[in-house]
Amino acid sequence: MNEGLKGTEIVVKCLKEENIKHIFGFPGGSLIPLYNELYEETDVRNILVRHEQGAVHAADGYARASGNTGVCMATSGPGATNLITGLLNATMDSIPLVAFTGQVPTSAIGTDAFQEADTFGITMPITKHNFLVKSTDRLSWTIKGAFKIANTGRKGAVVIDLPNDVQQAASKEYHHGEVKFAGYNPNIVPNPLQLKRIAQKLIEAERPLILAGGGIIHANASEDLRLLAEYLGAGVATTLMGKGAIPENHPLSLGMVGMHGRLGANKMINSCDALLVIGCRFSDRTTGWGLESFAPEAIKIHCDIDSSELNKNIPVDFPLVGDASLVIRNLIKFIKKYEDVKKETNIWRKRVNQLHGMCEECETTKHKEDKLTPEVIIKTINNFLDENAIVTTEVGQNQMFAAHYYITKKPRQFISSGGLGTMGFGFPAAIGAKVAKPDNQVLDIAGDGSFLMVCQELATAVAEDIPVVVAVLNNSFLGMVRQWQELFWDKRYSGTKLGTIPDFVKLAESFGAYGERVENVGDVEKALKNAFDSGVVSVLDFKIESETNILPMIPPGGRVDEMIGVGRCQHR
Amino acid sequence: MSTQIISVLVEDEAGSLTRMSGMFSRRGINIHSLTVSPSEKEGMSRMTIITTGDKREIERIEKQLNKIIEVVKVNMLDKNTSVVRDLCLLKVYADKENRAEIIEIANAFKSNIVDISIRTITLEISADPLDIDRFVETMKNYGIKELFRTGVTAISRDIEKKSGG
Ligand SMILES: Cc1ncc(C[n+]2csc(CCOP(=O)(O)OP(=O)(O)O)c2C)c(N)n1
Ligand SMILES: [Mg+2]
Repeated sequence: MNEGLKGTEIVVKCLKEENIKHIFGFPGGSLIPLYNELYEETDVRNILVRHEQGAVHAADGYARASGNTGVCMATSGPGATNLITGLLNATMDSIPLVAFTGQVPTSAIGTDAFQEADTFGITMPITKHNFLVKSTDRLSWTIKGAFKIANTGRKGAVVIDLPNDVQQAASKEYHHGEVKFAGYNPNIVPNPLQLKRIAQKLIEAERPLILAGGGIIHANASEDLRLLAEYLGAGVATTLMGKGAIPENHPLSLGMVGMHGRLGANKMINSCDALLVIGCRFSDRTTGWGLESFAPEAIKIHCDIDSSELNKNIPVDFPLVGDASLVIRNLIKFIKKYEDVKKETNIWRKRVNQLHGMCEECETTKHKEDKLTPEVIIKTINNFLDENAIVTTEVGQNQMFAAHYYITKKPRQFISSGGLGTMGFGFPAAIGAKVAKPDNQVLDIAGDGSFLMVCQELATAVAEDIPVVVAVLNNSFLGMVRQWQELFWDKRYSGTKLGTIPDFVKLAESFGAYGERVENVGDVEKALKNAFDSGVVSVLDFKIESETNILPMIPPGGRVDEMIGVGRCQHR
Repeated sequence: MSTQIISVLVEDEAGSLTRMSGMFSRRGINIHSLTVSPSEKEGMSRMTIITTGDKREIERIEKQLNKIIEVVKVNMLDKNTSVVRDLCLLKVYADKENRAEIIEIANAFKSNIVDISIRTITLEISADPLDIDRFVETMKNYGIKELFRTGVTAISRDIEKKSGG
């Protein structure tokens, strides 16, 4: 029994081998052994959150900012169930994450013991994979396998359920080297024949458009994407997850498509003759409705690392499985040979540049009126932050204002909950991002409703010295739902009025954080400066009008180019 | 819409059956039958799944199955080149008058008599599921007391390549 390594020693040893330096966690009875192991540990640091949801979102933000696997842990029962939202959030956005959960001793499993939850069963449909470790002999194999699954192929969350006795028992079994699964061998190398056919179609196209999804960011393929777009003279539109895949100030960048995307980008989808979609899963928020008429004139090419996404939502002419970076590099190789390619797309390229210019003008010029609006605040943020700054968002109008107006120049610097749309993601994700990138400015563009769901993490940020800035676009409403009620439900604001509770400045101060209220346009920049200079986590309470809307948008049931509220778009 | 037989080789890990059936229900896929049995490979089981759908749906099911970590191999079996079997145990009401008639029909279907009581006959049949459907239909005329079917299992035929020519 006393031979070999204890389970908890195995966990820490494996974490070190995976190069993990931070865990976001919260203890409990079933996790005391593991916390005990971390007590004197200096290479792997536990960051004590104040709610397990904060832990999983922080690990998620850490992973998005760094590309490395994020790690969190929670105790059995309520600790594990508090992770649920964040696990699905990470899996839906293909974020590499490993979560350790405590479990009652193996002998007690199935007896409805105190704080027993069927974590294995509950997390099965919301993770990429999960494990219940029944013997310490299997522990190192499981952990190494979990990290492999989380951060290869299409990435995602993996749960390791760790019974108390498995943590405490010792074992001589230790798996060295890579773990192999008979049924898991993600195919990342694209088929050369299909690549050649696709390259040919792209060369022939006169109006090529690239739709860039989060897969490009996960594959670190942004630089290559820009090159490909330049070779082709193709416009580049992105999904929410793809924001940052191309510098948004690049003349070929068209911005975000979809329900809350730019009119120009959406229209280009339906007027291009070749649509190259990479690392995107055609979510309904990207495609709108009426899918029969999505990109009706285009040859559709869809490249994704997950073959099950091909032909799932939209039937395409050329499906291709593969890692985005390999796909793009190989396409460039084929296309490079044709020097005259660029000429043929001249008119189209001009149109792309023109649309880019118009949106840029609209989104960067100063408003004449001096009302404090989300546009003005985010434009000021654009100018204030430096080029390495990371912006996270909550969910709602704040998120879509950020997606519209925040000009993202590099990958991994715009972090937002896409697939699940989780309110309360942005602040803990900002904490995680700051831990991963301590030298970068980190700012969460927040809504009052969302921030209140996770504001207890102010304690984490103060205690652990993680100085991020929360910019609350405070409209005293669950604004996005209210907007739908205004536009589509006769202004019946049922269940969406939050009022002016709480006083966010006092809330911040009570945690020892910096707080400041901003009511005038002229004070935005100064407040940002105060916050970043304060050296502690800060909350800026921007008082904005209650009934502002984020427009244009595709109304429910509308096609991708059928946007409403396009009044200010010059090119409509 | 067509019927598809899918044969899946899957690693024996705790929960792998739940993971597969969970995927079907979560993705709104209807399955007619699912059987699990040991395979020739140690530590692996074979599942046979019968489902219906159009070409795109069937393709979707194949890909989703392949995504499951424990799934080692997915075989889409063609009915025409596979041996397909279902086993049925059936207890039918029989009295003096019709007993001989029932036995005659059972023989015609190559069904075995496994038990006889004063009021019932119990029959066993292993056959292509469609043949069993027809058998069960016929037996309904006499009144079925109990019916059990194991679900379909299938294996591909090795088609020898013709030499020469
Ligand atoms: C956890 C969660 N609950 C509910 C929703 C539905 N929802 C989407 S946006 C929104 C309003 C968000 O309000 P706030 O954070 O104040 O942002 P605003 O839209 O006002 O900018 C709600 C309730 C959600 N996305 N996530
Ligand atoms: Mg709000």
